[in-house]
Amino acid sequence: MGQPRAATLSLTTRQPETQVPVDTRMHIPRTKIVAQSPPGCIVASQLAPHAKPLVDFDIIQEYIIPRKAFFNRFVTVNTPDNKYSILGFPVSIPNERYDRNEFIFNFGLVVESDCDFIPYERLVRRLAMTFAEMEKQGGYLSSEAKVDDGRRPIESLLEIVKEDLNNYGECMIPVDEANTINMKLFPYHPPPPPVRGWHVPVPKMKLTEIVDPTWDLTLQKLIPHIDGVNDVRRIAWLADVSLPLTQTALQHLLYYDTILLLDMFFFGGCYAPRPSIHDFVANRDGLVDECAGYVCLGGLGPSDSVAASSGSLSTGENTVGASTNVTPSKDVLGTTAQIPPQTSALAPQRVSNYQLIKLMTTFCVGRSVMEWIKLHTDAGWPVLSLIDVRRFIQFGVIKGLLYRVHKYVVSKQYLALLATGQARPLRDDERVGVRPGGLGEDEDGTAAGEGPAGGRGAWMGEDPLQRYTDGCHCFDQIITEQNMTAAEIVEKLKGFQAPAGDLTVFYR
Amino acid sequence: MAVPVLPNSSNFLGVALVINRSRDGPRFVFHYPPHIPAVDARPSSRGTDSDDLDDDDALMDRISNPAAGASSGSLPKGVDLANWNHDDHLETESGSQIVPWEHVGGFPTRDLESILTPPRAYDKKLFSVSLDQLCVASYPICVPENGVWKKKKRQPKSRPSLSTRAGGGDDGIGTSRNGDSPVLAANIPQIETHDMADEPLGQEAIDGPEDGTNPEEKKSGMTMFNLVFILNPNKHETKELVDTVYFHIIRKIIKAYKYAQQRSDFVWKESKRILQLKDKGREDKTRLSVLWRQILETSSLASSMQDIYEAVRANKIAALQLETPEGTVTHSVQIPVPFHLPDIPAADDVEAEGLRGLWVTTANNFADLDMATIDDLSFLDKTFALLLLYDEKKIISELQADGDDATNAMIEFVRLSKPTTSFHSIGQGPSLSPAQVRKYAQHFIFWRRAIAIPPLHARDVYIMSPNSKTSTLPLASQTWAKAFPLAPPLPNFLAELSTAPRPYKFFAPSKNHRPQYLQMLAWLMRGGWVTQLCTFAYVVVWPEIQYEVDYQIEADEIKNAKNPSATDDSASSPEAPTSQGSSFNGSDFGDADEEADRERASSAAQGSFASKSRPSSPASKADEDESLILSPSASAAPTDPLERSVSSLPPLPEARNPNESIAEAARLTRLADRRSRAHAEHAAQHARKRAPAATDHPSQNLEAAHLAHLAPYIILDAKKATGKESMYLSAIGRRFKDARVRASWPVFWKYFNGHSALERVCLMEDLKRKEAWALLTAMSEHLITVRHW
Repeated sequence: MGQPRAATLSLTTRQPETQVPVDTRMHIPRTKIVAQSPPGCIVASQLAPHAKPLVDFDIIQEYIIPRKAFFNRFVTVNTPDNKYSILGFPVSIPNERYDRNEFIFNFGLVVESDCDFIPYERLVRRLAMTFAEMEKQGGYLSSEAKVDDGRRPIESLLEIVKEDLNNYGECMIPVDEANTINMKLFPYHPPPPPVRGWHVPVPKMKLTEIVDPTWDLTLQKLIPHIDGVNDVRRIAWLADVSLPLTQTALQHLLYYDTILLLDMFFFGGCYAPRPSIHDFVANRDGLVDECAGYVCLGGLGPSDSVAASSGSLSTGENTVGASTNVTPSKDVLGTTAQIPPQTSALAPQRVSNYQLIKLMTTFCVGRSVMEWIKLHTDAGWPVLSLIDVRRFIQFGVIKGLLYRVHKYVVSKQYLALLATGQARPLRDDERVGVRPGGLGEDEDGTAAGEGPAGGRGAWMGEDPLQRYTDGCHCFDQIITEQNMTAAEIVEKLKGFQAPAGDLTVFYR
Repeated sequence: MAVPVLPNSSNFLGVALVINRSRDGPRFVFHYPPHIPAVDARPSSRGTDSDDLDDDDALMDRISNPAAGASSGSLPKGVDLANWNHDDHLETESGSQIVPWEHVGGFPTRDLESILTPPRAYDKKLFSVSLDQLCVASYPICVPENGVWKKKKRQPKSRPSLSTRAGGGDDGIGTSRNGDSPVLAANIPQIETHDMADEPLGQEAIDGPEDGTNPEEKKSGMTMFNLVFILNPNKHETKELVDTVYFHIIRKIIKAYKYAQQRSDFVWKESKRILQLKDKGREDKTRLSVLWRQILETSSLASSMQDIYEAVRANKIAALQLETPEGTVTHSVQIPVPFHLPDIPAADDVEAEGLRGLWVTTANNFADLDMATIDDLSFLDKTFALLLLYDEKKIISELQADGDDATNAMIEFVRLSKPTTSFHSIGQGPSLSPAQVRKYAQHFIFWRRAIAIPPLHARDVYIMSPNSKTSTLPLASQTWAKAFPLAPPLPNFLAELSTAPRPYKFFAPSKNHRPQYLQMLAWLMRGGWVTQLCTFAYVVVWPEIQYEVDYQIEADEIKNAKNPSATDDSASSPEAPTSQGSSFNGSDFGDADEEADRERASSAAQGSFASKSRPSSPASKADEDESLILSPSASAAPTDPLERSVSSLPPLPEARNPNESIAEAARLTRLADRRSRAHAEHAAQHARKRAPAATDHPSQNLEAAHLAHLAPYIILDAKKATGKESMYLSAIGRRFKDARVRASWPVFWKYFNGHSALERVCLMEDLKRKEAWALLTAMSEHLITVRHW
């Protein structure tokens, strides 16, 4: 896993100003700067007599060579004017061969306070560790300036580090014949959100073209099935990979921002506008034109046929839940399949911007896609034959113009049990999914109906649907995890052993 | 959207007070909570940061840990540290004593105390040190250079922040307008107000003992005090967390401490007392928990630190109470939290969980309004009402607890404030002025007792909020059932609201139930369960209108070209465009329009004839000014007079070569000729065009041959429309048959910008809801609408 992690590096961080190794030996009572780059950045230097120090060394020296308790730690401190921060890692090496039985040094960086420290922390740690090891093995630092073995002085090493990091974001330090230190600034990516079984990953780039045999095997298996139609659970099944592994693999793709997660598309689903729909009306940055290129059926590209074929590849017979979520898209694409003879003969038909805006703005809470299509068809505008509805809605969701209004079912009795602590809520990270065909096995080995046992109210027996009825689990989740269609779920819920009117369905 | 990083129990570990003394050096005075564990020992910090764990770090751990154990000297060996409860004292083999309170965050306090007393350069500046995961932020206060803490001036005015309540600087609405913060109130950063629990400080400050002793004797043993906040942020949030805590909490708390120190040497005296207790506890081997209880009871400094910790950790309002010999110093601090969101957070974002349950609305989004509107505060008064977040009685009793001159007015305000009544209408009442209303509302909002919402109304549409926090549904259902025993259960009510958007009044079984149902609505708003579904509109210009305007522009151009003097003698010319325009107003539009168009069309067709008949031929003008010939107005003139005029040109003052002038004249003639031909063609083309005909429903008239190539055009912001767009707007205005609609159109079109909710038009225009909607409905053919919150 994590094959691509090294491939997506680019440096955009602010640059460190200087490199400061400080070295203090115990026989010298004062902490002193042994080498600095550029000269004069910390303390006055003969090399640059007029350079103005960036920081007042007297003030910060306590944080560069601090008290014993803080040795071998990553220590940072800001300057009083809060313009710079000093990142250091004071290292102490106890050994009898030193005058005071101890050698202390710190390779520090001075960076602007408002830059991101995270990439530099590793670097500071790496410098400290490498030189600590080299000092331990051969007294590399302590013999500096004592022996003239023709090796590179530390000052010039620092120069390399500073220049290369600032210019290239990485550096290679030839320390001596045998040793080179390679370092790179890694940008920080926040941890990706969890991947749920009912998410639909949409590739942002042509993953099938960039994948190569060195990639992680799981990813290689999954990538052909990531087409913007299949949901995660379905991908897992198609690729014959267990669901947790699939989720982890997709999280890696998410980490590198190569996929998006959307909801499953249903014609019975409901979408509603978000405030940023204003950008669409205003056609900001050509949003509407981009949309037209993406959804108009005249310009159906080969990628669609891929989506269509993989959609129809699906073995809907043995997986009812799956067929419900694929069938609609098959419908869309099925329509498209019939249309090309006419449309391809004509020039690609471009729906007017106004019409697209009108379409986008007519989504509303309480109006399903089906009703939305009917609204426009009745108004004399055959939506289905002019645009790919699935792509149109996906476009809206991706661009933040629309949000999916999910459907939830709530049982008041179950809520009461939860409120009194007689039942424990089902958390989303508990993986209780079953996969079609029973491929792979669950981590916890629970079968479909059981769920996380214990403490559940007995009033409904072991009804597998009960734990979804707390208003936090949308129908999409039930559909994928219970392998049922929405209609089947509703049917099953009717058989609930509960007083009349206990169940309600809300949309949000 | 970005989630604000707030302190919580996992990233805010504690507060500590460190002082520096002139003779005895630094000393770690007090910390809270009693046991602050070492960060590395906390399983969560490492477990969640997956990026920490890689080969590099493994290597480092291997290298650094044994070294750390050996060199740090933090904990001597030979003691069963693993089973230490951090409460009892331990005895090592060597006989030294391990005192439970002498280890904070995994470090010995005697090491921390030296690193946490920075040099004077950090006086009154941010001081932030990080030790591995642990991050420490503070705002050190040093004794003034003369070594005397006491301020010579003893005027409470010097620190207005501590002596005013709800007043002075917190003209909050104004502040928020001027700043670029789009949020109504919650984000106003710098309001130096007090909690309601505040007491006026003025008197204590004034009647403090006036001891005119020699300043030398007053020289304190303490040279600095530093209240440090010990944080353990997620790496990528470090900076934001430090900034937030520093800006909203640290700097403000320190002000109160410094004030108390300057008045009565408070911090130093309390520190001495705490240190004495600690020394005694060390000798007696008092348990940590026992000692801490003792300290908290005796020292208001220590208990204020406890308050700070507990409140900041829960992100509540921290109310300090420092019992100085000269009276109680109180101060409240908080990190303002937003009470609304403009858009829903990402569905599965773990960090966004903190934003769940917030009211989602664009009502407070003023970023798109221009400054001119914003300077006028009345629009806010009209479209907002106060929704108290707590029971009215509770707030009133809070207010009564510390009476001062503003209390009665504030209580009155609380009584009058209903979520259905706008500030404007409260301000119109006899008891409170609009300025007072604004000020108090601001105060309540800032101190989290209320939020500002558009007034609730039964005719408005409310839906279940997409940001509602359904994980609280079980408990909320119970609370709801208690509050409204006769109402339908909460899940059912929400389900009803969520199914199909309808005006709220339809949910109430009868008109008598309305007040009760509005109270239910207020409850739902408070909990972020519902949000108003608003309608936003843009003006659509249908092809028919576009064609009409374009046609008219073309006609005017041709006419102007033909009739260059039209501008000069527009008063005499019946066909001048200005007079035409005015003749439309007030007359029967449809007919007048068509007539005028026909007239214009015909006049354009007979262009040359018409202009020949004009007495004021350009030739006469050309005599006066040669350059005019080149001006487009002249070029449309028939060729004959022009030729004549050119040939009859008098020789120019600087007598030119006659040949030259003839050539020049010929050139001009050719130019004029070409131009006039082009114009004639243009006119002929225009004449061939179909004259615009107004239909009753321009939106249906899309298929006509002359309109088919035009797409409907959307005016994004009708108020800012210029040029052609404004002509479109007035052309649309002429189409309205009803005089009232016609009159309201120019008034209303400023709301057709996609950001102003049509639901609030009636409030802004002081109209009845029904009336406003009737007018808007009449205009609806020319609007495209979208509905969101």
